[in-house]
Amino acid sequence: MPFEVTMPRLGWSMEVGTLGAWLKQDGDPVEAGDLLFSVEGDKATQEVEALESGILRIPPNSPPPGRELPVGTVLAYILQPGEIAPFEGPSAARDTLPEPPPVATGPAQPPERTVRSRRDQPAISPRARRAAGELGVDWSALQGSGRSGRIVERDVRQAAREAPARLSPLARRVAGRLGVDVEQLAAAAPGRRLRREDVEAAASPAPLSGVRRLVAERMAASAHTAAAVTLTSEADATELVRLRAQLKADAQPVPAYTDLLAKLVARALTEHPDLNAHLEGEAIVQSSAVNIGIAVDTERGLLVPVLRDVQAKPLRQVAAESAALVERARGGSISPDDLRGGTFTITNLGMYDIDAFTPIINLPECAVLGVGRIVPKQVVVDAGAERLAIRHMAFLSLTFDHRLVDGAPAARFLQRVKQYVEMPYLWLVE
Amino acid sequence: MRELTFVEAAREGLAEEMARDPRVFVVGEGIGARGGNFNTTVGLFDLYGEERLRDTPVSERGFTALCTGAAVTGSRPVVDFMFIDFLVDAFGDLFNQTAKLQWMSGGRLKMPIVLRGCVGVASQFGPHHSGNYYPFFLHVPGFRVVMPTTPADAKGLLKTAIRCDDPVLFLEHKNLLNLKGSVPDGEHLVPLGQAVVARRGDGVTIVAIAYMVREALRAAEQLAAEGVDAEVIDPRTLAPLDLDCILESVHKTGRLLVVDEDYAPCGAASEIATQVMERGFDDLDAPVRRLNGAFIPAPYSEALGQGLVPDAAAIARAVRDLLAE
Amino acid sequence: MTHSPDVPRDRLLALYRTMLLIRRCEEQLVRLYAAGAIRGGCHTYIGEEAVATGVCAQLRADDAVFSTHRGHGHALAKGIPPAELVAELLGKATGCSGGRGGSMHLFKPEVGFMGSSGIVGPCITLAAGAGYTARLQRTDRVSVAFFGDGAVNNAAFHEGINMAAAWQLPVLFVCENNLYATEVPFAKATRNPSVAGRAAAYGLPGEEVDGNDVMAVYAAAGEAVSRARSGGGPTLLECKTYRHRAHSEGQREAGYRTAEEINAWKARCPITRFRQRLLQDFGAAAADLDAIEAEVRDLVQEAVRFAEQSPRPDPATAADHLYSEEDGDRA
Repeated sequence: MPFEVTMPRLGWSMEVGTLGAWLKQDGDPVEAGDLLFSVEGDKATQEVEALESGILRIPPNSPPPGRELPVGTVLAYILQPGEIAPFEGPSAARDTLPEPPPVATGPAQPPERTVRSRRDQPAISPRARRAAGELGVDWSALQGSGRSGRIVERDVRQAAREAPARLSPLARRVAGRLGVDVEQLAAAAPGRRLRREDVEAAASPAPLSGVRRLVAERMAASAHTAAAVTLTSEADATELVRLRAQLKADAQPVPAYTDLLAKLVARALTEHPDLNAHLEGEAIVQSSAVNIGIAVDTERGLLVPVLRDVQAKPLRQVAAESAALVERARGGSISPDDLRGGTFTITNLGMYDIDAFTPIINLPECAVLGVGRIVPKQVVVDAGAERLAIRHMAFLSLTFDHRLVDGAPAARFLQRVKQYVEMPYLWLVE
Repeated sequence: MRELTFVEAAREGLAEEMARDPRVFVVGEGIGARGGNFNTTVGLFDLYGEERLRDTPVSERGFTALCTGAAVTGSRPVVDFMFIDFLVDAFGDLFNQTAKLQWMSGGRLKMPIVLRGCVGVASQFGPHHSGNYYPFFLHVPGFRVVMPTTPADAKGLLKTAIRCDDPVLFLEHKNLLNLKGSVPDGEHLVPLGQAVVARRGDGVTIVAIAYMVREALRAAEQLAAEGVDAEVIDPRTLAPLDLDCILESVHKTGRLLVVDEDYAPCGAASEIATQVMERGFDDLDAPVRRLNGAFIPAPYSEALGQGLVPDAAAIARAVRDLLAE
Repeated sequence: MTHSPDVPRDRLLALYRTMLLIRRCEEQLVRLYAAGAIRGGCHTYIGEEAVATGVCAQLRADDAVFSTHRGHGHALAKGIPPAELVAELLGKATGCSGGRGGSMHLFKPEVGFMGSSGIVGPCITLAAGAGYTARLQRTDRVSVAFFGDGAVNNAAFHEGINMAAAWQLPVLFVCENNLYATEVPFAKATRNPSVAGRAAAYGLPGEEVDGNDVMAVYAAAGEAVSRARSGGGPTLLECKTYRHRAHSEGQREAGYRTAEEINAWKARCPITRFRQRLLQDFGAAAADLDAIEAEVRDLVQEAVRFAEQSPRPDPATAADHLYSEEDGDRA
């Protein structure tokens, strides 16, 4: 018979004791005399020794330390070889209650049956199985709420609702690029694993919205309304390149080519004000201020924030403002005011290795300058002397609205811009 | 619209068809001057006389085959068996002649015969007057079987049955005979093979046959109070069965209970359950359940008749149990 | 009962021809059965030709005949071409039932042959039903039920004849009493050996006729048909006759009929007897009779050839005509 380790009476009047701590562990071999546990009695803590040798077995439901217990409460057992702790014997096995029979529903009873499934998987109804397939739910791990544990439809739908949406890495990237709200998409397809196709489907064919629609409307209006003509002129930008390089050595921010061009163009526009005009009803109105819109490519589409009074601002200020505008545009915090009031637009596709192109006029403006890449080329610098040199060349593409401006004035303007590009020090001439 | 009883509506249909087509005549015990044990022909003897309202000797086999012979030679007989139990004597000729003559003759002989009678457990009529027997006619090729549950359907289906060139079992549950209901004015025909959704719901589908439709509707009311929205379908025709209507419902609800007063083995409920399993397997969230009458001859004594046939409470219990699946 | 056979000559020859046609056709079917070309039951009419011939000669095409398992004779006498009969027994599409029925389920409503039945008895009640239609529609059509001694103890006999008599239906009930129902002698099946005598119990006329005397059958049938057509109600004819061969092809004579008995009846073959009568009493020329013989032989040979060359029915049509709607069966 296993020896019972009990709460001892440590004083003749002790009726209860508080178990302090076990000094041996379940399964430890103990010798008679070993200290097993401590007891907090009325007066002091006392350690209690084993009265038998053997293996100490502490039941899982043995009273925990800190509990006040009557003297004589069984705390553990010490087993001899071959003995089994009472809490682990066959008599300790819990009875399982048999399943209640199906409710009698009428004279003809269906035969009682237990739900058996193939291959030890839980049983699942055909409808639930289909739902699991549609929702991408792994039903083999579900608990069924149907009779005998059958997985039924509601179990599958519940699991789908609770499962977070999973995106593939590619899907996540694509969602970011297309501006698809991942959380919204996930909520619409609970538990489903979302792939790139799902994201793309969510993004498109979305109808035109927001920026895209606006751009589309304006481009179409421009293409259908203006009498657009594009003039191209190849400028020798070597000096400009040199100028920028010198400016780089100076304090921040470094003006971008676009900033430099903005200043050059602004100067040219003050000399050729008819290119700084717009149509108001039937009248052509020239602006005194040169507000230059800079075309910016953002995730949401093309935005054209406007640099105001470029003709009046020093280059560095223009550079700083343009940098700020570009940042706001790309960050999505551009305001409508930032986008209004332009009198001329510059669009630079040089960074994409574009040479020349036919930019679309940003109505109601009457002209737009497209800037291509600056590329070293072999050019004739002295035809008479048949001298060649490597120069940094760049195409300037000016689209103008022939309704407002004729070809010659436009050409003259472009020529002036070209001159400024080739001889930037002309600025010094106010 | 008028309010008529089931019997009155059916009789009105018969009267209209007899007026419309002089080839229609009625044969049976007591259907002549007396107007029929279940008042199926009241008033018609005075109009048409004994040639078209023919009282017969107790010769069910004989007059069924006689009417079969009449049908293939251009008449349109209505055989009124009174109790469907009496039709059983004619099984031999029904299965070997009535069901097969059209097919054997390659369609040259038609079989425009209506076989009508009252079915079901009612009024403690006992073992020989409480039968249903319709599954036999679902099982043998050649028959149509209709079981209307409303006065309007009784009229519309009887007219259609009389105009049909196939042998039609027209079965009237005794407990429906005095049911009152609206019957449309004017010509009113109900096509064969078209079920009706007697009550719309989306929680569970109950297909009920004949009188069980009424009990199922009562059960549905009880269940509605518990938040269970039952859809009750009345097939109206058992052969051909409007399976599409049932499948559509099961697609919606996922669970089906078929309630049929007749015995379970090889019955209409088994056939419906199997067809739904075959064609709607993936829609099922639980096994199809049948609720049938007790598998015993109908006892006379009330005491022995407890739970003999399903009632609203039993149907509701069966639905709850089905929902627990 | 005496009859004065005031029958025109061509009618007499027609009677002879019909009996001969039945005999020769049945002989061919016997050979085909032995060769394995016919399956199932084949109950030959050899020896009983006078009954079908005599009765059907009194009928119009629109009179209805309902027959039994031993129905080839009725079918031919009523007007089913031998080619269609043989084709049916060979299971061909050109058979009178499209191959659907075989020997015992012959149909040709176009000539008033409303069906033979593999179940003994229902032809009686079906014929009564056809009689009911004639009454209801006020036509003068008659209907005929041909059945054997085996049917007279079936409830269909009792119920059908009772109703026909009660309602005075224009029906001719023809019992071919060949003394045996399969192997059960009629004498063992019932206490009262007279079938015709039962008529009195139902209140309709009953007459016993020598079923091997085509003239007698013809005369008795003529009276019954006139009675029916004129609204005088039904008649029961008991034609005493005998089948020469076994109950069904492929069955041995199981010894329940003695050779003596069989031979005695063969000696009274209706065709032989009538041929003699034609030659002796009606002044027919042997050459004419031989010519008929030859014509029938050719006709039967042609029928067999036709049947053998005919196609089988299309399996896809098996479910056609289960219901009257042509969109096929709706189970």
